[in-house]
Amino acid sequence: MVKEELKTEYMTINMGPQHPSTHGVIRFVIKTDGEIIHHCEPDVGYLHRSIEKIAELMPWQSFIPYTDRVDYVAAMNANWSYCMAVEKLAGIEVPERAEYLRVIVSELNRISSHLVAIGAADMDMGAYTPFIHALRERESINDLLELICGARLTYNYMSLGGVRFDAPPLFKEKTLAFLDHFEPVHEQIHRLISDNHIFQKRFRKVAVVSADMAKKYNLVGPNLRGSGVKFDVRKDEPYSIYDQLDFDVPVGKGFEGVVGDCYDRYIVRAEEIRQSVRIIRQCFDKMPEGDIAAKVKRVLKPPAGHIYVRTETPRGDAGYFISCDGKTSPERVKIRTGSFTAMSIIPELAKGLFIADLVAVIGSFDIVAPELDR
Amino acid sequence: MDILIQTIGDIINADLGSPLAAFIALLLVSLAILGFMSLTAGGLSFIERRVAGRMQSRIGPNRVGPQGILQFMADGLKCAQKEDLIPDGADRLLFKLAPVLCFIGVFGTFAVLPWGNGFFASELNVGLLYLMSVTSLVVIGMLMAGWSSNNKWSLLGGMRSAAQMVSYEIPVALSLLPVILLCGSLSFKELIGAQGAMPWDWNILNSPFTFISFFIFFLAALAEGNRTPFDIPEGESELVAGYCTEYSGLRFVFFFFAEWANLYVIGAVAAAVFLGGGHLPFGLESDIVSLLVFFAKSFFMVFIIIWLRWTLPRFRVDQMMTLCWKTLIPLSFVMLFGQAITLLIYHELTFLQSIVSLVLFAICVLVGVKFVSRVLVNIKEQKYKMMHTLTGS
Amino acid sequence: MGLGNYFKDIKAGLTSAFEGMSISLASLFVRPVTVQYPDVDVKSDEAMRENYNGPLRGMPDNYRGLLDVDLEICISCKLCEKACPIDCILIEDVKIDKKQIVGRNGKSTMKMKSPIQFDIDNSKCMFCGLCVDPCPTGAIVHTNEFEFNRSDRSQLISRFVKADDRAQLKVRGAEIAIEDAKAKAEKAAKKKAEAEAKAKEEEEASKDQSEAKGTKE
Repeated sequence: MVKEELKTEYMTINMGPQHPSTHGVIRFVIKTDGEIIHHCEPDVGYLHRSIEKIAELMPWQSFIPYTDRVDYVAAMNANWSYCMAVEKLAGIEVPERAEYLRVIVSELNRISSHLVAIGAADMDMGAYTPFIHALRERESINDLLELICGARLTYNYMSLGGVRFDAPPLFKEKTLAFLDHFEPVHEQIHRLISDNHIFQKRFRKVAVVSADMAKKYNLVGPNLRGSGVKFDVRKDEPYSIYDQLDFDVPVGKGFEGVVGDCYDRYIVRAEEIRQSVRIIRQCFDKMPEGDIAAKVKRVLKPPAGHIYVRTETPRGDAGYFISCDGKTSPERVKIRTGSFTAMSIIPELAKGLFIADLVAVIGSFDIVAPELDR
Repeated sequence: MDILIQTIGDIINADLGSPLAAFIALLLVSLAILGFMSLTAGGLSFIERRVAGRMQSRIGPNRVGPQGILQFMADGLKCAQKEDLIPDGADRLLFKLAPVLCFIGVFGTFAVLPWGNGFFASELNVGLLYLMSVTSLVVIGMLMAGWSSNNKWSLLGGMRSAAQMVSYEIPVALSLLPVILLCGSLSFKELIGAQGAMPWDWNILNSPFTFISFFIFFLAALAEGNRTPFDIPEGESELVAGYCTEYSGLRFVFFFFAEWANLYVIGAVAAAVFLGGGHLPFGLESDIVSLLVFFAKSFFMVFIIIWLRWTLPRFRVDQMMTLCWKTLIPLSFVMLFGQAITLLIYHELTFLQSIVSLVLFAICVLVGVKFVSRVLVNIKEQKYKMMHTLTGS
Repeated sequence: MGLGNYFKDIKAGLTSAFEGMSISLASLFVRPVTVQYPDVDVKSDEAMRENYNGPLRGMPDNYRGLLDVDLEICISCKLCEKACPIDCILIEDVKIDKKQIVGRNGKSTMKMKSPIQFDIDNSKCMFCGLCVDPCPTGAIVHTNEFEFNRSDRSQLISRFVKADDRAQLKVRGAEIAIEDAKAKAEKAAKKKAEAEAKAKEEEEASKDQSEAKGTKE
């Protein structure tokens, strides 16, 4: 008898750069055994625009619109990180009203960004209606932000020393009216999709990240909190006026399965939206009258030195390291973003998952391609 | 059919049962069905897009023709003009054959589908069996498409569709068995004839077992028709477009043609087998009216399928198999046995059947009322309230 | 998988689908939010009020659309050119006859120069608004114009100075330059003459001094 050996080999598939669920141009080289992933290698860099290098050629103010493009889903928050870093470097005092306006727009932007994250995760799971419902509400937030700064996506609203425009008349009333409308609709979206049994089955107990592992891989923001680690820059290293505001830091508790699974990461974002609504309401109550920007010299020359500033953006702890040699433009800017670290954990998690699960993992980590590459 | 053959025979002066007359009659009927099928598939594609649009707070296609009703024609024409691409390294014969097989699989079912209570293209005594077997062709088409495309996503899609559709044929068949037990026939005419006009005379409300069988049939048929939550072979966000990734132009249209026509088939079978066919109470019944009633019921089922698609997310491949083998199949066996026992009981205690049917009907009405109240609450939540009162830009 | 779980699964699936379907059916009866853009004038308050339920009505005053330049009050200080992060503004200027202008902010300024070329490359512009901030007279502003699809990429460049004006300004600028040069030359000559005269005087003075010294000795 001749013993025949069946030869099997893994199938190598390119997931991306053009793939419906990679949310931008990211490429995963996956080796699969049928449907089951054996090896996954993320390939980043398709959206590299050398924003960090551009900063070295720019006057300090002119770099702000570029920070919009670092994370265009939450441009306000990216603006703020950079402005805060330069303000600290140059010793600029920001007026209180400007701080309140900054918190309001950033939290509005956080809501809209989380809506995109939630909606995109739903869409990856094949549910289109909740995605469009989420985007419908996001559109109203875009309207509000357009009212205040004249742009819908790349806001460039913050300036060194404050904000560029004061809140227009009726901005407060419109925002509060929107929040009144939004809260029940947000719950409705969650009744539509997050409580759905099929959806929960897809998300729970998939790609569990333990607290240790999350720290080891340096996950930040909602991804870290989804693993049960209670860390929020707004609470633990408060900046701006966050220490005067009352809000909770939601953490994953294993809502429908294990702590740190996809569903936890997903639902932490939903809870953060509710907290942001609370913050915005408080800000409107407390907001004082006054200047909206400090006087800053047109040609700014901060003293030589280094600074590292971290803020809590929707995708986690965004850090701006700026090295200054006392000239009119930065010597070096290094941007640290949450998506990049989230990307690094995916190969580890993807082993043994289904292809369909990989999509869920990418969706639950809320990876935004431009933030990944900068 | 016989009448048609006879009439044609009279016209062309041939003897009754002459092959020529039969051929012409067959040709005419097939062409009529083909026309109906194309219109249904096209119309359904338009209806689906409009319904999906409104469910998502959008409008949907409304530009071509009045309210966009000619959109499907525009899309069809556009696709017809597209280049017919066959990827390098594809198995050309299989690649070309696959959409045709898919189409035939669905088109074949129309032969036995009832048109109201009286019309049948072909009145087979094993109609239901024929219908289930001829739809299996679709599996082969999809598997062929996936395999021959020389694309890994297509291959995965093809494999998924093979696994899915072969598995789900079992619950479809099993869930139809209780009704077949009840009526004692596989022919659509007798299945419809055994039911009455009022809802409690329908097969679905005959006993709790047929009631649950209906849902099993509905879910399994969804899976066979590749509809969300079981659209795993296409799995847009996972497999790009699954088995039809590499298709373009008219071949692509054929797949979707088959998919949408299949929607109607599911609706028509559900209407005929479970929902009382085209019967109408109070002696209003005639052939034409029964046809309209039957269409209304079928399209209502189609609407529910569309509605489900735009509500639910997609299963994962293993979960879908678990649902089939561990949930639906055992359950449908239980329903089969339950129905058999129920029939024995009904045989002894005839009054029990009407009581059970009325109770089931009452439950359905209660659930419906609850549902409507939930819908009203949700409408109220979703409406914009405050913004109207605020003025100024 | 116990029997309890089995039924729990089915129940959870059915109830959640029930609620989900009630929500998607509800949206079927709520007005769509789509504004059918080319049909509806999105710039107008009234049209948007009829067609849109969101917080926005028409366009906000500070909407950042295409840039527009009021050349009458542009003093060609080139601050916008310097502020632009991507260098999409190109300005060339000539001297003109001095005139008093009133800026958009109400301040009056002396206009000494006028641009003969003021190009904004809209294909590059990212509508950040950084050029608007430093403008001392408010000459460069964002309009609420946002439709700028053109058939050719070169048409995307807005050239604000018209060819006629440019020729006129150039001619006048050249004249002014000549006048200036003349004036400058005259001034220089005058200065030179003065300097020479002064030098002469000094020389003479020193001569006188030395002479006086000599006589003293």
